[in-house]
Parts: sequence; C-alpha cells; structure tokens
Amino acid sequence: MTSRRSFAFSYIVLAILLAAAVGASAGIGAFTFTPPQMVRYLGEAAGWIPDRAADTLGRNVFLELRLPRVCMSALTGAVLGVSGTLMQGLFRNPIVEPGLAGTSAGAAFGAALIFVLGSGTMLSFTTIVGGLAVPLLAFLGAFAATMLVYRVSTSFGKVNVFTLLLAGIAVNAVCGAGTGFLSYIARDPQARNITFWNLGTFTTADWRGVALVAVCFAACYAWAGRSGKALNALMLGEDEAALLGIDPEKLIFRLLLVNTVMVAAATAMVGVIAFVGLVVPHVLRMLRSSDYTFLLPASALLGALSMEVVDIVARIVIPPAELPVGIITAVVGAPVFLWILLRDSRQGSSGFYG
Amino acid sequence: MVELRDVSYRAGSTLILQDVSVRFRAGRFNVILGPNGAGKSTLLRLATGLAKPTHGQVLYDDRPLDAFDASELARMRAVLSQHVDLAFPLPTIDVAMMGRYPHYNRVPTSHDRDIVRRALEMVGMREKAQQPYPTLSGGEQQKVQLARVLAQIWNYDEPPPGASRPHRFLFLDEPTSSLDVHYQIHLLDVAKSLLDFDCTVVAILHDLNVALEYGGHFVLLERGRIALEAESPDAIGQADLERIFQVRARRLDDNGRAFWRFGL
Repeated sequence: MTSRRSFAFSYIVLAILLAAAVGASAGIGAFTFTPPQMVRYLGEAAGWIPDRAADTLGRNVFLELRLPRVCMSALTGAVLGVSGTLMQGLFRNPIVEPGLAGTSAGAAFGAALIFVLGSGTMLSFTTIVGGLAVPLLAFLGAFAATMLVYRVSTSFGKVNVFTLLLAGIAVNAVCGAGTGFLSYIARDPQARNITFWNLGTFTTADWRGVALVAVCFAACYAWAGRSGKALNALMLGEDEAALLGIDPEKLIFRLLLVNTVMVAAATAMVGVIAFVGLVVPHVLRMLRSSDYTFLLPASALLGALSMEVVDIVARIVIPPAELPVGIITAVVGAPVFLWILLRDSRQGSSGFYG
Repeated sequence: MVELRDVSYRAGSTLILQDVSVRFRAGRFNVILGPNGAGKSTLLRLATGLAKPTHGQVLYDDRPLDAFDASELARMRAVLSQHVDLAFPLPTIDVAMMGRYPHYNRVPTSHDRDIVRRALEMVGMREKAQQPYPTLSGGEQQKVQLARVLAQIWNYDEPPPGASRPHRFLFLDEPTSSLDVHYQIHLLDVAKSLLDFDCTVVAILHDLNVALEYGGHFVLLERGRIALEAESPDAIGQADLERIFQVRARRLDDNGRAFWRFGL
C-alpha cells in the first residue's frame, strides 16, 4: 500500500499551488489588481472595512467579472479532472475523458438547442426558465451521448477500446453536426455565442453560473468521492468486483449519472473544454499512483490548478483579445493523448488493447 | 458445505445445466471435471453467486445464497479465475489489498495489512510487493491474484471454525491453465493448505492427472448433467473417461496410483 502520508503530502502541495494560482489569476488581466487592492475590495464587499467609494469601477470589475471567472475556472477544472478520473475508472481505460466519449459534445448540443431555438420564446436563455433549461438540456444530451458510447463499446462486461474510440467519434460527429446546424440557422449574436462557446470560454462567468456549477460539483463529489475502492476493484473486471461485494451495474450507472450531471452543468456554463479530463489523471498516475482513492481528490485539485493556469494564459497571450481556453487545452492535451497512445502501443499487449 | 439443489440454468433457449444436485463438503478438495462446453464454468458461476439459477437453489451451510448480502458473502467466499489483466500500473501489494476491501471501510487497519503481507508471503511474492502488477510475468500475476483471494477469506489468527465463525469457500476456475508446471503445483499446494482451515475448496481443473492427484471428490459433467460423482480417483474407470471425454484412455500405474495416458 502506497503510504497514506505521501498522499497527504501530494494534496498539500497541490492545494498550495492552487491557492497561488487563484491569487495570480485574480490579479492578472486587462485590469491588474495588487494584493492590497484585492484585500480591500473583499473587505469592503464583506463590510469589514468602510466603503471608501473611491474606486467603484475597479471594485465592480474585480467582484463582478474577475472573481466569478476565477471561481468558475477552478470549478470547471475540478469537474473535468474528476470526470476524467471517473470515466477512466468506469471504462477501465486511461484514454477516456468527457471530450472523447461524447459527454461534452452531447451537453453542448443540448445547450445549443436552447440558445438558438429558445430565443424569442419563453425558453430564451436570458429568462429564468431558459436559464434553467440550458443545463437541463445539456444534461439530457450528455447523458444520452455517454450511455450510447458506453453501451456500444461494452460487450460481455469488457470495454473494447477501438469500439469506444469509434463510437466516441461517431457521437461527437453527430452532436457536432447538430450544434453546427444550429449555429448555421442562428442569427448572428447567437451564432457567435455558440462558436465561442464550442471552444470553451470563461468570459461570460457570473455568480449565478458559479453557484450552479458549485452546487452540482459539491453534490456529485459527495456522492462519488468515496467510490475510490469500488473503482479500484472494477479495474479487475466486473465479475471480480462483484465477487468483492460491489454491484458493478449500480456503481456504473451511479457514476455515469454523477459524471454527466457535473459535466453538463460545467459545459452549459463555459462550453466544451477538451483534454483536461484526460491529462490531469494521467499526470497524477505518473507522478504518484493509480489508486482511485488518491486520484479522485487529487484530480479535483490538479484539475482546478491547471484550468486556472490555462485561463491566465488565455488572458495574457494576445491582449487585449482573449484566446478561448479550449484552444489552449487542445494544443497541450492532444500531443499528450498521442504520446499515451504511442507509448502504450510500443509497450505491446500489456497496455489497454487486451 | 456448498450445495446445489435441482439446479438448472438456461441462457436464451439453450439449457446449459439440467437438474444438477451436488454437495461440495468442507475440508475437501472438490474437483469439477468435464469436456469443453459441459457447463463447468456455469456451474461455478451459479455456485459463487455470480449468476442465479433459472431453477433450483444454491445453499452455503444450508442457508440459501439469496439470504446473504453481497458484502457478507464477499467476506466468506472468494474466486480465483483464469487470468486478471490490469490496465493501470498498481503496485502488487495494492492489488492484493483489494481482497480486504469487503472487510474495511475507508482505510485498512494494521490487521488488514498484516493479512495481506502474510498472504503475499504464502504465495512467495513478498519481495515484489512494490513492483507494478502489469510488469509481473503471467505466473507471478496469478500468484498475486491468489494472495488477493486468500486475503479476502483467510485470517491467520482466527479460532477454528464453529458456531463463532462461519466456514469459508474458495473457488478456483481453471486457475492454472496459463501456468507452467512449477507455478501450477505451487498454486494448488497453497489452495490445498486452506483445507486445514476447514475451507470448502471447489476447483475446475483441466489436467486430469493433476485433478486426480489433488482432488478428494470428483464431479464429472457431461452436456449439462452430472455424468459421474466419485469419492476417490480409483472410482473413475477407463470406460467413464473414454465416454465422457471422447478419447482412448490407458491406465498406467505409478506406485499404486492411477496415471492416465490419453489418445484419440
């Protein structure tokens, strides 16, 4: 048993780095805030120090634009990291993540339906009903897509990797085509929204969205966070897990549900961000351990940390414009994905082709 | 004791097992034999609770299998299957520790760790405890799986079985089919040592001579039915083997014990 203390050490290091990244992310951008400024704004907002009203613009930018964005990117990163870990555990395979298995694309398609078809009706995404319909439809799309890919790629209790990748491609293509069609028939502002949002962006983050993702993530993590042992046992196969007293069907259904809820909520708010769910667990496996009791909390921390860093890069790389974060994660993540494939195919049959 | 009472199993329209009644007693090495497709694996799946019989009942010490809950069953019954692959590089000791999962909640106790250490020692894999499982040879991986299965049901400081402690059940599903002769003997010896602990051992074995050497009770299946049940190797005759396995069999004598040679 890899010692628990080394896990605790990893958590602490990750948490410190995450705190540093959050601090940096709060300060850096089109408006730069110094730490004393940030403390003052926070203090004023909380009512601890008297409101001097001298710098309301800076304060508003910080509290209403910057902070929700910082929170949203950390939360999204945590969601994607945990989701990648859960899916790799469920599919018993290191190359699955929400972007590849159709979860994100399904969510995007569901949300785009509301963005485009709902506009002008009571379901417009600017109304309250529409605001709730976006994550709901995102969830339905994500769940349908993930279930389809899982069912197609599983036969006799074993996941076939090639079928999985092909099914993922097919489902991604269908959802992508649906989203593309919607953006084609959409009138311009909506279309721009969809395009931007297909690449993932935190610019639209607000406190309402942060609250939604935070609640979904907390609830899902509370439910799934203790599945580490069960996911470890599932590595041995569904029969072996059942012999250890775990009901594999219940476990798989529960975790797919939890995973889809989190990813749908995050995707509905910030769009499709690929490869984070793939790279984060992989890095943790290399650095420390493939034990899921470690991976689940650690991938939440590292996911949040890496998303925060990516968002900082997105803000400073082509000022005054911003790069969609999905572009950065794809540029970094895709080579890692190829490298994993290449390494495992060189290792021969001991990889995941069995 | 594991008892199957009038058990039938149907998959779609195919009847795989038909009216099988058999008792596997504790403290004995029970062996299931039979040609491919006779229903051996199905019989084992039913006996372990992985599948439910279409008809009939499975009982552990006279208690129906349905009456156990999953984790209770997992603490007394373990199964070693043919081969277990792992897609992720978990250290050997973590794999063996999975056998203790039904016993602890979040963090293993020092007693759990002790059991796992001793189980690894029993199978001779103590030195490789930290080595990643996928880097082990097939034979070593199977030893680690045996250690995991032992850790699941075996406890070195327990009182002898009685009213205070339920019996344990170990099933082996062709455990040695990919192993060379050294590993094969080693693994079966370890399994056999559990008999002293009054465990019920039920194994599907392919090599007839190995089966006859280790077994103490033989169940021969043929097309979903029990063709022959024998309490000793000598009760299995040449005509039975030739009919059930569709071969020609010749009995050789090895210091009074039967040794069979087969041909077509």
